[in-house]
Amino acid sequence: GHAVLGPASGQRERYALSLLRAVHFQDYATCFATASGLRVTVEDAKCIQANAFIQAEIFQEFSVQEESVMFRVSLSVLLDCLTIFGTSSLPGTSTALRMCYRGYGHPLMLFLEEGGVVTVCKIHTQEPDELLDFDFCSTKVVNKIILQSEGLREAFAELDMTSEVLQITMSPDKPYFRLSTFGNAGSAHVDYPRDSDLMEAFHCNQTQTNRYKISLLKPSTKALALSCKVSIRTDAQGFLSLQYMIRNEDGQICFVEYYCCPDENITEAEL
Amino acid sequence: GGAAMKCVIGGAQLRVFGRAIHAIARISDEFWFDPVEKGLALRSVNSSRSAYACVFFSSMFFQQYCWTAVSQPCQEKQLALPCKLIIKVHFNEMLHPILCVNVLERNVEKCSISTSPKDHHVTFQLLCRHGVVKTYNLAFQECDPLQAVFAKHMCPNILKVHSRLLADVMIHFPTSQEEITLSVTPMKVCFRSYTEEDTDFSRTMLTEIQLSPEEFDYFQVGVDSEVTFCLKELRGLLAFSEATSVPVSIHFDRCGKYVPIAFSIEDLLLEASFILATLCEAEKEGHPRLAVGPQSCCLAEHPHIYWGPSAHGVSMGSAFTAAKPHPCWEHCQGTGGFTGKDLQVAKASQIINAQILSQNSYLYKYCVFQFHSLFFGAVSYKKEAIGDTFQSLVTASDTEEDFSTLQSSQVL
Repeated sequence: GHAVLGPASGQRERYALSLLRAVHFQDYATCFATASGLRVTVEDAKCIQANAFIQAEIFQEFSVQEESVMFRVSLSVLLDCLTIFGTSSLPGTSTALRMCYRGYGHPLMLFLEEGGVVTVCKIHTQEPDELLDFDFCSTKVVNKIILQSEGLREAFAELDMTSEVLQITMSPDKPYFRLSTFGNAGSAHVDYPRDSDLMEAFHCNQTQTNRYKISLLKPSTKALALSCKVSIRTDAQGFLSLQYMIRNEDGQICFVEYYCCPDENITEAEL
Repeated sequence: GGAAMKCVIGGAQLRVFGRAIHAIARISDEFWFDPVEKGLALRSVNSSRSAYACVFFSSMFFQQYCWTAVSQPCQEKQLALPCKLIIKVHFNEMLHPILCVNVLERNVEKCSISTSPKDHHVTFQLLCRHGVVKTYNLAFQECDPLQAVFAKHMCPNILKVHSRLLADVMIHFPTSQEEITLSVTPMKVCFRSYTEEDTDFSRTMLTEIQLSPEEFDYFQVGVDSEVTFCLKELRGLLAFSEATSVPVSIHFDRCGKYVPIAFSIEDLLLEASFILATLCEAEKEGHPRLAVGPQSCCLAEHPHIYWGPSAHGVSMGSAFTAAKPHPCWEHCQGTGGFTGKDLQVAKASQIINAQILSQNSYLYKYCVFQFHSLFFGAVSYKKEAIGDTFQSLVTASDTEEDFSTLQSSQVL
């Protein structure tokens, strides 16, 4: 397949950059491009998967020949190249980005231009890995809430990292939605009532308490910081889906999602 | 036995409470949490034992304050032991967000604190904006009490000033300035940067601020004095005092071996004292000194200095009959009149023979005796006696025989 993305300049380029950063918790990512846009996937420990969706509309031109292209690439290197002109944006200057992929075996080409200076980057690509399929479709969702991100940001920033787990309770009854940690000094709980003005949607049918490895979920804080809203869903097995709605200055919307398996090894958490 | 307490802090008092915690946190990263019937006391001492802070919030400070004793059954004709719940709370990643001043001021509408002795938890619950409730259950262990008793009324120099003025003075000192010297005469007050003898003056910025007696709400200088103390520990108290709008009282004596300086604020709702060890310039010239480490204060095994029982609502005299005897203090108890002999007991054999720790801070050398003097100062109302007895402390021999012969002396 053959794909050309770009140009995206200035604010759009920074937007794409921040979406990629929001999933950058491992070196390597799998890129998957279709006509609707680019999906960048990062996984860890066979337990957690993060996806950044960069819609085709972000780019001035977005073409993918054949149905789709897929390759594995170093996300760290990609991000370094994208910021080759520096990370701060001076007023009046903007970086223009264009990405090309000629197909299997070819490197990912980046063309970056700022103030008349052009940089060309060639990044090696690899065979894509098989990705986890969390099989998370809306029919399997047991509990779902949508919260304004502003309400969660503090809670995530303050998470007691001496706790091995982050416990999430969702229930039609009190405490409705609760985040808990069990660390060295004791336990901490943050409760969001269903009638809070932060709560945009509350659909909880069953009381569920699940524990997730806190080290795996902590990187999602980046996505939370960028987002205006987050949807939190669990299925019958306790798999967690976090979907972050990230809006750019033009009002365009992209999504980042995190999927996480519940932690089976942790024993019954005490208060 | 134990005690259960529940209190609620709301509104403007949240800001005051947060600043008090912040001020205590500048002394040490752990504090003693001591709820009593009349209110809540928070105390802290730094690792070198050169700074001590105590903030007491009366029950009226709180929107709600409930305290119940869970006492031991009475034995024979003895009164039930006072019910105490004293716990040490550590500042850590979890507690910082709770008690961080900014969080409390901006986002929290109400804070409730409750203790549950039977399952050993103290619970902080914050009611925040948007209906969010944050609950923190901290496990605790009871610990021995910490309290220093300081006879402020015995200080010849007392200054009372609004915290705004003090803050305006302190702001002129760079944040890196650790110690400052306060010198007073009946005509003027001067704060200046403290420098070691070997300071290269060509590379140092020195700050000096002079104030006249009229700038003080209360000005009493009985003796000319020049004392040096650590500024860092004071900054937190100033911010706290600003939140309460209560003026700061400064009590101190002439420069001398065991003279601490006390900064305190007091109103109907709360009392706070920050007692700092001082360095005396005169010390540098040939006065006999004992170089001892901070942990050696007669408590070789005990991790905390024990100065005395809670003195709240209890007169100085009777405080000692109720005191929990510690080997070091045993023979000093209940003495209305001090004798040099009594002091010998709490002396060299416990102190001098103890480990000499590193000389990180000049304050180390003075802390032991600073707090001894606090205790003794409370008991003895004869200033001359103090002078005499400290001399004997310094020159007394520390043989085993001395100690053993005193074992049988009466405890009054």
